[in-house]
Amino acid sequence: MVKSKRFSSAVSSRSDLRLAYLFLTPAVLILLALTIYPLFYSVTVSLQSDSANGPHWSLANFQRLLSDNFFLSAMAHTFVYAASALICEFLLGLGLALMLNSRIRGRSIFRATLLVPMMLPAVVVGVVWRLMLNPNFGAINGTLKGFGVDTESLTWTASPRLALFSVIIVDIWQWTPFVFLVLLAGLQAIPQEPYEAARIDGSSRWQTFRYVTMPLLKPAILIALLLRTMDLLRVFDQIFILTEGGPGFATETISLYIYRTAFRFFDFGYAAAMSFVLLAITNVISVVYIRFLQARETT
Amino acid sequence: MRRIPKYLLLTITVIAAVAPVYWMLTISLKNEVDQFAVPPRWLLFTPTLEHYHDAFVTRSFGQYLITSAIVSIVSTVCALALGTLAAYSLARFRLPYNMDRKLSLWILSTRMFPAIVTAVPLFLMMRNLGLLDTRLSLILVYTTFNLPFVIWMMRGFFVEVPRDLEEAALVDGDSRLGALVRVVLPLVAPGLAATAVFCLIVSWNEFLFALVLTQTDAAMTLPVGIAGRVTQYEIKWGVMSAAGTVAMLPILIFALAVQRYLVRGLSLGAVKG
Repeated sequence: MVKSKRFSSAVSSRSDLRLAYLFLTPAVLILLALTIYPLFYSVTVSLQSDSANGPHWSLANFQRLLSDNFFLSAMAHTFVYAASALICEFLLGLGLALMLNSRIRGRSIFRATLLVPMMLPAVVVGVVWRLMLNPNFGAINGTLKGFGVDTESLTWTASPRLALFSVIIVDIWQWTPFVFLVLLAGLQAIPQEPYEAARIDGSSRWQTFRYVTMPLLKPAILIALLLRTMDLLRVFDQIFILTEGGPGFATETISLYIYRTAFRFFDFGYAAAMSFVLLAITNVISVVYIRFLQARETT
Repeated sequence: MRRIPKYLLLTITVIAAVAPVYWMLTISLKNEVDQFAVPPRWLLFTPTLEHYHDAFVTRSFGQYLITSAIVSIVSTVCALALGTLAAYSLARFRLPYNMDRKLSLWILSTRMFPAIVTAVPLFLMMRNLGLLDTRLSLILVYTTFNLPFVIWMMRGFFVEVPRDLEEAALVDGDSRLGALVRVVLPLVAPGLAATAVFCLIVSWNEFLFALVLTQTDAAMTLPVGIAGRVTQYEIKWGVMSAAGTVAMLPILIFALAVQRYLVRGLSLGAVKG
């Protein structure tokens, strides 16, 4: 182990290095120019405020965050959205993966159909679900009416009470297949030996699940949760199409509020300040997940 | 007998996944009487192509489609060209001070930025450069956010190519570049193709940057064109559904083509699937 590590850390020859730098430079320059530079630019934008004498440096944009109720409620919506969608997608995805981790007929067709929701452009997801949830002619209320259910109060995305719930359902519909596929891949990578050992030891099905499957599936679970969490916290597209953050503020998440602040009210400084809060939160959460992942690898 | 619940569950899941999409497809093919029928007509209606004609011939969705295709293809080609070279270097060479490892992680971290964080400054930068509402601005942005993905995917594929094969070519007198082109690239070709398809899908589906950086028909992509109509007061459901169906079809075909690499691609190479 030590030897192979030393071998691989030997620096490449000078001619190889020249080639490596040549190959790496264009990609690194583009990333610097269009992701890192904008970030620093955004810092300067967030630290400037307008006054009678033109823009000047100040922390006003960051101070405003703390007393802005719209910002705080957008944060609350984002967390409710992210947490409930994450939990449902995980439980459903895990359940499906466990049930289907065996030989079944028509598995490839099943996998192919599950691809449909998650590969769709978010805009199309929005159109599809506007059609499904429309209170007047949507397929859901139409079908319920067919069964004699009173759908008068079921206005879904138009109802302040049901709107957030509706957009969460749409997210679960679209992304449970992703969790399922990642966990299924994880399950299939588990070797047979630990299961045989557990059987010889006379473990119950629950014990096998708890002490064999779960620990070995943990890396796949963490990766699925990490990627979903990042996407959920910055959710924008589907909600923009489905409700535009409404009715009122009922489904306004943090990304939508930043968008509105920048591109409807043209307050770029405040939008930039809020975007750093979002960046900080996603960073902290991804670091926590990655710590857990690395803890797994070293033990 | 124990299998029956399993197949029942399977069937329900498949219906739940596909029925909403099928519903949109039927709306795009129904006349306005059938569209608003209660109870909804899932199967029996007289199909018509009038909404497709309306969307792509009468309205400007045809132009959005062309813009979407150009922007996706050009940005994918650029990201692949730059990203593959960088990925090869990171997979094969050890840079001083562990730079190759640090660089890889830094590149991955740029992919993790929420889009809205860079959308605000990129809008201001593009405005200063006079690039707002141009296809070029979208090509630049899509190339940038596909780059980290290409680098991570291709790095994984390059690492899987045995070094011995390449070293044999070097011993036979090939240069590094010659060995890369003649020996390594053919071996990673399937991975390269899958990566390309993923980039096409991501660029084709992208919404936020296209919404922020374009304003007129000159550079609007299909998703933004659809969104602009959906959020209007009087919505033409047939036209929307026809445009949505056309936006979806190439993606479904692509997704089926890369099924084998799907999990690997969606997890940025973390799960080999």
